[in-house]
Amino acid sequence: MVEDEPFDFAGCLERVRARDQAASRQLVEQLYPQVIRIVRSHLPRRVAEEDLSQEIFLKMFTRLDQYQGAVPFPHWVSRIAVTTCIDQLRAQKRRPEFRWADLPEEQADMLDNVMTDQRDTAPGEALAARELVEKLLAQLKPEDQMVVRMLDLEQKSLAEISAITGWNQTLIKVRAFRARRKLQKFFKDLQQQEKS
Amino acid sequence: MSQFDHQWQELVSRARQAPDTRDVDAPFGFAARVVAQSAGTYGAAPWAGLERFAVRGFLAASACCMAAVAFNYFGRSIESVAETQIDETLTTMLELS
Repeated sequence: MVEDEPFDFAGCLERVRARDQAASRQLVEQLYPQVIRIVRSHLPRRVAEEDLSQEIFLKMFTRLDQYQGAVPFPHWVSRIAVTTCIDQLRAQKRRPEFRWADLPEEQADMLDNVMTDQRDTAPGEALAARELVEKLLAQLKPEDQMVVRMLDLEQKSLAEISAITGWNQTLIKVRAFRARRKLQKFFKDLQQQEKS
Repeated sequence: MSQFDHQWQELVSRARQAPDTRDVDAPFGFAARVVAQSAGTYGAAPWAGLERFAVRGFLAASACCMAAVAFNYFGRSIESVAETQIDETLTTMLELS
């Protein structure tokens, strides 16, 4: 099986800078999967993913002259995507309140299972677990959400997160530690709510 | 590993099993739309961001101009009143002498 040749970002960027519209479209299509994955995993509530990806690509074109080639181009774009998502999350100042009583039945069961260390998960419960994790993460600060999501949900390494976000590894560890402390507090509060 | 870490890792490992079947390819026409919109923004001068201050700058300059005109007008009228009063005083003094 012949592998696809790697995309020539340098050549494409040269043509984009020379106002080649076909090259610009090619660049967007090439980077779209990477950008949409970041947007989907960090999408703020009530924000359409297509609108946010469009905003990211427009920023990319506006700042293209600032790209010096210090990092690979996809990493540079992913940093724009990450900061745009964080800005959107910050814009949603009010975080939804998280209470045991408001959880749908399947999410409450899932949380109960996890807290009581029961391992019998029905096949369809992964989605409930996912939604529950999203609700818990929504309680955190945007930067902390992003770190925990990448570390625990997407199982990225510190080096990968550093490349995507541009944050150094110590800062990532600090944010992860702080985020887990907050999550632990939420878990405790939920357990107390359940008992009461 | 603390009890919370164990519970959290258990929850996220279950969450990871949720399949994401959404398409990751760009929707039809997306790239063309973005490129068309960016046509006016790409290669903008670094100081292009200052354009938003242009209106404020214009308003501030207009206000300064108006203030200068007003000050000039009222300043002159005060000056002319003072000059008239001085003239009258001098005339009176000369007449008395």
